[in-house]
Amino acid sequence: MSYGGGGYRRKHHYRDDVEHHVHETLEQKIKSSILKLGEVDPLQELPRLSAHICAQKSTITSTVVEALRIGVTQQPYKIPYYATLLRLLSTTSVSEETTLQGQELGKQMLEDFWKGFQGFLDRLAWREIRHCVHFFAHLAVAQVISAASLYNLISAFVAVLDEFGVSHGRAKQAVRCAIEGLMIAGPALAAESSADITSIVTAIKSYVQSVSRFKYLVRPITGHLADDGSHNVANELLDSALTALEVMYEDGFAQGSECFPRPYVEVITEGSVVFALPSVLVPPEVIELDGLSSESDILVKKADWAEFHIRIFDNDVTPDPNTPSGYAVRCGLLDLVDIFEVNRKECARLLLEFPKWTIPGTFQHAQDPVSDKNWQLECTILEVTCQTSVRIASPLKPSVQSILGQFLLLPESTHKSVYFITLITELCKLAPSTVGPAVGKSIRKMYNLLSEGLDVALADRLAIWFSTHMSNFNFIWVWKEWIGDLGLSIQHPKRVFMRRAVEYEIRLSYYDRIVKTLPEQMQSREACVLPEEAPRPIFAYDDPASPYHDIAQSVLNLLSGRAKAEDVMAHLEELKNTFETTDTDGNINTTIRAIAVQSLLHIGSRSISHYLNAIERYLPLLRNLAGGGISSGRGSNTEARSDILSAVLAFWKQNNQGVIIALDKLMQYQIVDPTDVITWSFVHAGPKNGEYRTCTAFQWDLIKGALDKANGRVVIAHRRLATLRKEDDDNAARAKASHGGMDIEDAKPDPVVESPALASAVKALASLTREQEAALTQTVDGFFRCLVTPGTSSPATRDVITTTVWDNRNSWAEAEWLSWETWAWYIHLCRTYAPYLRNYASTLEANVFADSKVLDDPAGELFKKIWSSMLD
Amino acid sequence: MAQVVAPLDQPSNYKDSQTRVDRTHQQELLSKSTTLYVGNLSFFTTEEQIYELFSKCASPEEGGGIKRIIMGLDRNTRTPCGFCFVEYYTHAEALACLRYISGTKLDERIVRCDLDLGYREGRQFGRGKSGGQVRDEHRTDYDAGRGGWGAQAQRLEVERRREVEERYADAQEGPGAVPGGGGDWKDAGENPLKRGRSPDDEGDPSRDVRTRMDDDSQRM
Repeated sequence: MSYGGGGYRRKHHYRDDVEHHVHETLEQKIKSSILKLGEVDPLQELPRLSAHICAQKSTITSTVVEALRIGVTQQPYKIPYYATLLRLLSTTSVSEETTLQGQELGKQMLEDFWKGFQGFLDRLAWREIRHCVHFFAHLAVAQVISAASLYNLISAFVAVLDEFGVSHGRAKQAVRCAIEGLMIAGPALAAESSADITSIVTAIKSYVQSVSRFKYLVRPITGHLADDGSHNVANELLDSALTALEVMYEDGFAQGSECFPRPYVEVITEGSVVFALPSVLVPPEVIELDGLSSESDILVKKADWAEFHIRIFDNDVTPDPNTPSGYAVRCGLLDLVDIFEVNRKECARLLLEFPKWTIPGTFQHAQDPVSDKNWQLECTILEVTCQTSVRIASPLKPSVQSILGQFLLLPESTHKSVYFITLITELCKLAPSTVGPAVGKSIRKMYNLLSEGLDVALADRLAIWFSTHMSNFNFIWVWKEWIGDLGLSIQHPKRVFMRRAVEYEIRLSYYDRIVKTLPEQMQSREACVLPEEAPRPIFAYDDPASPYHDIAQSVLNLLSGRAKAEDVMAHLEELKNTFETTDTDGNINTTIRAIAVQSLLHIGSRSISHYLNAIERYLPLLRNLAGGGISSGRGSNTEARSDILSAVLAFWKQNNQGVIIALDKLMQYQIVDPTDVITWSFVHAGPKNGEYRTCTAFQWDLIKGALDKANGRVVIAHRRLATLRKEDDDNAARAKASHGGMDIEDAKPDPVVESPALASAVKALASLTREQEAALTQTVDGFFRCLVTPGTSSPATRDVITTTVWDNRNSWAEAEWLSWETWAWYIHLCRTYAPYLRNYASTLEANVFADSKVLDDPAGELFKKIWSSMLD
Repeated sequence: MAQVVAPLDQPSNYKDSQTRVDRTHQQELLSKSTTLYVGNLSFFTTEEQIYELFSKCASPEEGGGIKRIIMGLDRNTRTPCGFCFVEYYTHAEALACLRYISGTKLDERIVRCDLDLGYREGRQFGRGKSGGQVRDEHRTDYDAGRGGWGAQAQRLEVERRREVEERYADAQEGPGAVPGGGGDWKDAGENPLKRGRSPDDEGDPSRDVRTRMDDDSQRM
């Protein structure tokens, strides 16, 4: 079959194993054969494996159960076969050669397995819990466990939905456990008189319908800014799950056998129920831990949103997620992507082998083209993976966990979008002839969605995916098919995409290389696809005609001669005094700052390392400039820092990446603060310098960089404080222990006295928290001025928010698209930084929304609506 | 997970022959390391290209990010010789690179990442007899991106080559030659001296920045 590609490799692995594990114990061998079940043909292997296990001593059962627990939770695609194995093991044997087998064995194993499940429940390890539920559901159909007890288990998950104040994240997981358990075990439950499936379906339905408030901010298609309705190209995960469940429920779960393999049906001739699952309660979420409660008010809790999946292909190419089999296939692939994140190469191989574990005929097959489903595997994988790669997920891990993670929790990593990008690269490497075209189709489809209002953050992630992918495949793309779109408005999302994608490609490669990949029409200046020239620094005073040429040259000479910072400062002071007597222009300070900063950037322009060297050598100079002027301290600090930032932008005008890196390091060295960067970005980094009007993708990059810096610092400060607290506690305990024999009066530690390090850490945290709040306030305020405030906001901001106007977007000009984009970045701010924004909601509202009259117009109303959706 | 597949974020068996740290201590350092060794780079690849790719594994919102990039240089010619160190602020970011980036292309070459014990003075230079990397001494194939076998660079790359060759001509040796990249946030009001110091004094905390800069200005 076509999946034979992996076969050779497996054989090779097997040989390796034999060589490396000559002294493998019997337990290791049994465990390994259970985990490797089905590498050739699971149905043939099952009776052999079962007989082999049955020939062992009874001490082997714990090994078998451990292997099953790992197999079920880490290879969920094998669950139906593991259920079959347990069915075989629990069936009374007729053979005399076997020592183990029969009902008692099955019961004992399930009791043991249940303990592991209880462990997952206690840790609320939802993915593992859900896969155990799958296993139990298959076992119910295989008549190993009683249908009534499975019904009770499913009811326990449904009970979560009635908890007071249940978080959406928790409820979502519980709903998935219940729905997927029902779908798999449907036939068994339908035959069970005590099972009231109708009430379960009703309860799930009423929950799913009640949570539409989690959808508005994360719609992948945001053309209609104010409209709540979701677009038909995207499906919400829980909606799909519910629809699929209802389809099955209505026809009495007859479709179940088309969705889930049930190998046990063929293997088992007879067998009776051996086990009833004990009753459980899903434990509550741990909200806070002692010891950190004093900081809990500033810790953030992850925001829960709906989970939209974009539909790229038609129902005849990829399965419709709203059908039972479509939902099952998608969840199976999603689980693979999730579980095998630790090894993207293996993940790619397993994804391509996935059809082996589905009902025959699910996917197109060269030898058997006739089938009712006949979906295209590569397109389905791409749809699942690539929508995951561009899915809007909150990138924030709860700080609680990242801090406590050091001490208490298992490491938990959010998958970065680069994982999905390089996973797709691996897929292409394994099966270039089939995955390659599927990637091309996906990119085209997503590109076309740009005209339909694809969310700006998704559009940007698409450009990142595109450029990184092309960087791995020789930058070969059929650009000429997009030539026609060059006629669109320059700020149309498609043209923004082309510019961004090319910019990212150049950053990963170099200008001349990328130019060669573009058709002539796109190379022209009017096309605005390419930057006018290769990214390069622009030293404003290079031109001898510049009035400041000689002055700048003198500063530059000092810097490149590695003069002492004091000497440079003295020289600048001198220059300033000369200016003051000869020049009546009021911007002397600004000019001096621009000359100094640009000269510094000039000597650091060869590479990041050169830049860092320059900063480190001239820190006193930079601090002096940022502090409001040369020595005398005239002029305001904010103005000085804004001047520094403008000098950076002017210097790297041709190189956005240069600006991003330069600002990041200026913040790192505390020359400028995140708040400075945010305020300045809104006013000076947009297409119209000096006005609050827009937030473009580039402006957003700068603002995001500053917000992340402010938030990251709070995380570090928390971490440091927690470490110091622990050290302090340990020291106190040690002191107490060593004073054990002495007078109690002396040994008593003073609870008020903290170490100086601890006191300063507390102070640092307080000050960074204020900075964080200020940064968030500046950001919300900036958007408010761009979108709502009369006078500063663009006139187009009110025009683009109505549905009728969106429908006429073909006539939009630059101003409309820029306003639309600004609204979309504001939405992105709210959903991405929701956990932080919620912490400071009341202060933010008091500062930004103070003037209620302003909020009365349509723009004000929409601004408030988006804000409120975030608070919910 | 390790029960079913081997995770990609394990450090390799590479043993730094010049380190004075014993094996157990090395393991301990690696388990916390924030530094990544990146190999098989083209001699023409710039720090900015490296930054662009490796910032995809950065987590600034958790206090991370790229701290600095140290380009590996030929000891004699002061030109890039095909490797670099990427130093992050957190260990998790370095691990993410092993999982997601190692084995993918940068500048059309498949790069290899490994956890590193951390940069130490002098490690920015190749250790081969000729001044470059040891592996290029033994290489017998033609590799245009790593100097070919002679000066047969393709025409397109001539300009890049000229730029690259000049870029690090000023590279120095010794303490302070490589920038720190910026340390953690420090309270300015707390200690007036700190404003005058580099926030990253990892080299030698006993010296203040005044002397260090004097040293630098004499050396560089």
